Amino acid sequence: MNKDWELSQEAFDALLDWLDSDREQAALKYEKIRRSLIKIFTGRGCVEPEDLADETINRVTSKLKEIEKEFSGDRIRYFFGVANKVHLEHLRRKLPQPTPPPTNDPDRIELEFNCLERCIERLSKEHRDLLLRYHGAEGPAETEHRRALAEELGIAPNALRIRVYRIRMGLKECVEKCIERSHG
Amino acid sequence: MNLTADKQEIKSYLLGILDGDRKTQLEERILSAPETYEELLLVEEELIDSYVAGGLSTLERQQFETHFLITAERQKNLRFGQLLKRYVNSHLFPVAVPHVEKGAPAKKSFNLSMLPDAGRPVMVFGIAGVVLLGVALLCWLGYRRPPSRLAQQRVEPVVVVTLAPAAAPRVNVPPKGYDLKLELELANPNFRNYKSELFRENKSVQTRGELRLESKGEQYVVPLTITGEMLSPGDYEVKLCGVSESGANEFIEKYSFRVIE
Repeated sequence: MNKDWELSQEAFDALLDWLDSDREQAALKYEKIRRSLIKIFTGRGCVEPEDLADETINRVTSKLKEIEKEFSGDRIRYFFGVANKVHLEHLRRKLPQPTPPPTNDPDRIELEFNCLERCIERLSKEHRDLLLRYHGAEGPAETEHRRALAEELGIAPNALRIRVYRIRMGLKECVEKCIERSHG
Repeated sequence: MNLTADKQEIKSYLLGILDGDRKTQLEERILSAPETYEELLLVEEELIDSYVAGGLSTLERQQFETHFLITAERQKNLRFGQLLKRYVNSHLFPVAVPHVEKGAPAKKSFNLSMLPDAGRPVMVFGIAGVVLLGVALLCWLGYRRPPSRLAQQRVEPVVVVTLAPAAAPRVNVPPKGYDLKLELELANPNFRNYKSELFRENKSVQTRGELRLESKGEQYVVPLTITGEMLSPGDYEVKLCGVSESGANEFIEKYSFRVIE
């Protein structure tokens, strides 16, 4: 790919059209592909997975006219083949250094913990109790504890996992915003 | 989709110990099957929880630290997992123990809602019954205990000093045969276990682990007993760390005191 090639609005629109004729569905597919590629590059030990995911998408977009003529299979899977090439090239280049772990600054930890407390207080009582009870057992007792909790709520254990995950993601977002606000 | 097999496979993938065709197939599914992608997100969080709880094997732990934690995003997620664990530990299972006089049996505050199965009436009443029976048995044993046994209980010779982080009180060398019991005040009782290191004139002289939090009125303290014979006039400092479930130490406070003749 020409390294100076940049994703124009026109090229991006063409990519969306190729992914799905419905623009809304196409945008969802684009987002999903990008998120999945980031996970795949992270899983392969890449320190800058977002850059590699964008490079993969750009490369597919830049060759879209040729691909449209020659390729007829699963469009999402096409990205996988390109991602493999991008990854191989990445391995040949100098690898970026992994991000050093954040330092354990006691003031920062306290700030984050205070944010967490505030965000948990903002949860509904139902969600707060569920979060606490779900995480209230660990080790060998954990599975049985969560199975019993799911039974009590009248849902499947996996549905409970997903429910708690969503509460947790909302909480994480709230904490991140709170920390950002605290840093001014 | 076999959930358990998938979960295990994804866990291995995240730890960088899945290879060959299985890895390729899984990556293809991450891209094309929404349920696999969602499962990946769930397993990521569960892996962080297992690490924080100390539930990973040595190899898994090593892989987690060298492979999984490579991105800033995952490090941030780990931090969140640690904070959440700290919150859950301090709210679901409060370790506060009411202050008790020497010689009296320790009493733990107990609330049925703390039980993992609270809300299941049969279980709750069953447990409540067992607790009541236990209390009745203890009372009966106490009533039957001969007076000579009670007389054998001795009051331990200790000098008790409460230390706040900002203060630096003067403490007399304890009388011969007496120990010094420091009660280290804590603003946020967020750990179950604590570890201390005692310094004399900036030189480490004693390390203690497995220290437990106690409540003293409305204040939380971590008691630390120092053998009287160890103490001679000079400046002392205690560094207190909270010990997380994974065994990691987190610095909490520094306390100072001066021992005088």
